[in-house]
Amino acid sequence: MSVAWAIFKKELRIYFVSPLAYVFLGVFLFLAGLFFYLGVTMTGEASLRVMLGNLSITLLFLLPLLTMRHFAEERRAATFELMMTAPVPLWALLLGKWAASVFLCVLLLAGTALFPMLLAYYGDPDWGAMATSYLGLLLCCMAFVSAGLFSSSLTDEPVAAGLGGVLILLPFWLAGTAADLVKAEWLREAMRDLAFLSHLESFTRGVIDTADLAWFVLFIFGFLFLTWRSVESRRWR
Amino acid sequence: MISARGITKRFGSLTAVDDVSFEVGKGEILGFIGPNGAGKTTTMRVLTGYIPASEGAAVVAGHDVFDEPMSVRRKVGYLPETPPLYPELTVGHYLHFVAEIRGVPKARRSHRIGEVMELVGLEGWEKRILGSLSKGYRQRVGLAQAVLHDPEVLILDEPTSGLDPRQVVGIREFVLNLAQDRTVILSTHILSEVEILCGRAVMIYKGRIAADGTIDELRERAGGGTRYRIELEVGSDSRAPAVGALDAVTQVSPLAEADGFELLEVKAPRDPRTDIARLATEQGWGIRAMERHVPSLEEAFLAIMGSEQ
Repeated sequence: MSVAWAIFKKELRIYFVSPLAYVFLGVFLFLAGLFFYLGVTMTGEASLRVMLGNLSITLLFLLPLLTMRHFAEERRAATFELMMTAPVPLWALLLGKWAASVFLCVLLLAGTALFPMLLAYYGDPDWGAMATSYLGLLLCCMAFVSAGLFSSSLTDEPVAAGLGGVLILLPFWLAGTAADLVKAEWLREAMRDLAFLSHLESFTRGVIDTADLAWFVLFIFGFLFLTWRSVESRRWR
Repeated sequence: MISARGITKRFGSLTAVDDVSFEVGKGEILGFIGPNGAGKTTTMRVLTGYIPASEGAAVVAGHDVFDEPMSVRRKVGYLPETPPLYPELTVGHYLHFVAEIRGVPKARRSHRIGEVMELVGLEGWEKRILGSLSKGYRQRVGLAQAVLHDPEVLILDEPTSGLDPRQVVGIREFVLNLAQDRTVILSTHILSEVEILCGRAVMIYKGRIAADGTIDELRERAGGGTRYRIELEVGSDSRAPAVGALDAVTQVSPLAEADGFELLEVKAPRDPRTDIARLATEQGWGIRAMERHVPSLEEAFLAIMGSEQ
């Protein structure tokens, strides 16, 4: 556990000594502000529904850029060799890296705390729905970070890893949009099930649906498992 | 401390390392020599457990690298070919991180890091960013990370590559100091380094062991080992038969003759020069030179590689 903690701290340090984390925070908060303004003025509701929905799609494109360097860069800088020859269990390496990126997401989300405060000042928001919305968005972050880690484990090239991460995540967004075009009932349902937005929906309504929660948990662990296998298999080639 | 038995590593159809076996004892410094691409790095990676061998087994510090990788990792310090540095971190943060993952107890961490930085000549460099360091300093940080946890076994892949001569001397001293109670394997293609540092060398060529022995044994294999070159004043005929008749001498061959002197190459189990001098004095021959010629490791290297082809 202390090894995972050491890796967590190291990853965060690298985020914050490079401009990456700051640029990321800036872009994210700018977009969050934009979505908040549009959401509130267009619907006239004292809710974050529009903002959080749009942010989840924004994160789908942005988070792979945050995770792209995890394994790709380690391999390029030969530090992967250090990780694999120091007493670092693979689970600790994965957990440390995953948790560091998720922690940065928590900071991003905390940065949007201003918006609920504004809503509370001018209106009467549904705090329960707000809390579950944030939980849903956090689950999205965890899921996207897992997929991004997997993509990063596939290549030595960080940029390819970043774009690959977006490519892996796109079907989980577009399946829902494309579902309406499909005639066959079973396929339409299957595509809706695949899409993350349909599982986020219950959270934005203030409901924690066990099935939707399970979907996210499965997604997170599924991609962490794939990353595990991918990292392990790279040593055999 | 290290025992490699029949290590073979294949990458697809390429056999990088082919049936390599050797032993290294405690307190020994083993030199791994061979041309680039001979399989030195691959062998070292197998020993550290970084890559699994296709065949064969390796036991390092009492543990099988395949069955008990974590026990091996705890006891081995490893400097890969490229120092494994995070360019964004400072020297201090980096070493702190390595100490943490290497399991250096928290109470001793700072003290140990200071100690090691002094050892490799990095005092006062804590705040420097790794990405801005020169090659020599990166190599020092690489060495520091390899010894932080005071490992029983050190595996160093070309520890002096890319360093200037003064830095090379520093690193040599460092390795010699460390080796007193540890086991070290280091690879290099600078043979003079092996001569200075290593008691024994394993020569790898095209993935196989071409030679394994003490430095003197390797020289011996280059063809006859030590010879003596004697320049004697010649008369009407060669002095070779008379010199060859001495008890101490096994073989004499005249190499050249110029301005009344001839150059003899003498092979002998022990130094025959006093005997030859006595003979020359008795006979009244002039002596211009008597020197001992030790073949360099380079000669041995080339001779052994030549015979392998």
